[in-house]
Amino acid sequence: MALRLTVQVQLVLQALLGDPAAETYGLELCEETGLQPGTAYPILLRLEHEGWVASRWEDIDPRAAKRPARRYYRLTAGGAVQASAALAGARRPAGRALRRLAEGGGAA
Amino acid sequence: MIPDVEREARRRKLVPYMSWIMTVALAAEAVCITFLPKAWQWLPIGVGIIAITVVGAAIDPPGRDELGGRRRGRRSRRGRVAHGADGDAAPAEATAGRPGLMSLAARLMPPAAGRRWLAEADSLLSEIAPARRARAIRSYLWSAPSLAAMLWAREVLRRARAGRRRPE
Repeated sequence: MALRLTVQVQLVLQALLGDPAAETYGLELCEETGLQPGTAYPILLRLEHEGWVASRWEDIDPRAAKRPARRYYRLTAGGAVQASAALAGARRPAGRALRRLAEGGGAA
Repeated sequence: MIPDVEREARRRKLVPYMSWIMTVALAAEAVCITFLPKAWQWLPIGVGIIAITVVGAAIDPPGRDELGGRRRGRRSRRGRVAHGADGDAAPAEATAGRPGLMSLAARLMPPAAGRRWLAEADSLLSEIAPARRARAIRSYLWSAPSLAAMLWAREVLRRARAGRRRPE
């Protein structure tokens, strides 16, 4: 199934492409994109299913860290190439529209 | 892994609710048998069973022990065989304070995916600013049904493919 490049998906990809080698976790991504977690999570799952993104659980002792482990996401090598190409080919929504969406928290 | 003491406490909490629901259901059943046509007589029991399931899920969520720890019931063993190797098993020690409705929503999803969704939600909700927490929970809950549909569709396809690949 081909990935539909909605504005929200573009926001997530842009955030991940900011530093393709870096890992990011859900909350960080939500803060960067302005999307609500309920919107961002299915997008990340879809990207992972397509092989664009890989994820892993943070390896910590939750008791020592006093918080649950985070799930980290990063673009795969192929995913970074595909995401760049997809974003370049996508009809770019106006920057103002993206900002408005981010401020509104994004629709589910 | 959840301590037996805690499990027992949860069970004890559930028993009075179950008793009340079943008592009301049986009373309604008696009324239905006496006054209503035959087609209606199973309705109170059906509603009672649904109510017990909902209350049970709210009180005894699939949370901590299923987040990578020990799992219960007949389905769980099959679930582990079916989903265990995907590396998605969440680490234990999820936070408390998540609404019971989220556990219920997680049960709409395939078991492994539901556990992961719940664990990620726990992780995010534990770190999010309190002012934004309620909104984040609402967004999780609103997206849960469509996510469940997507995950089940994927799960059915995965099982169909696995079935086709099985040697004869």
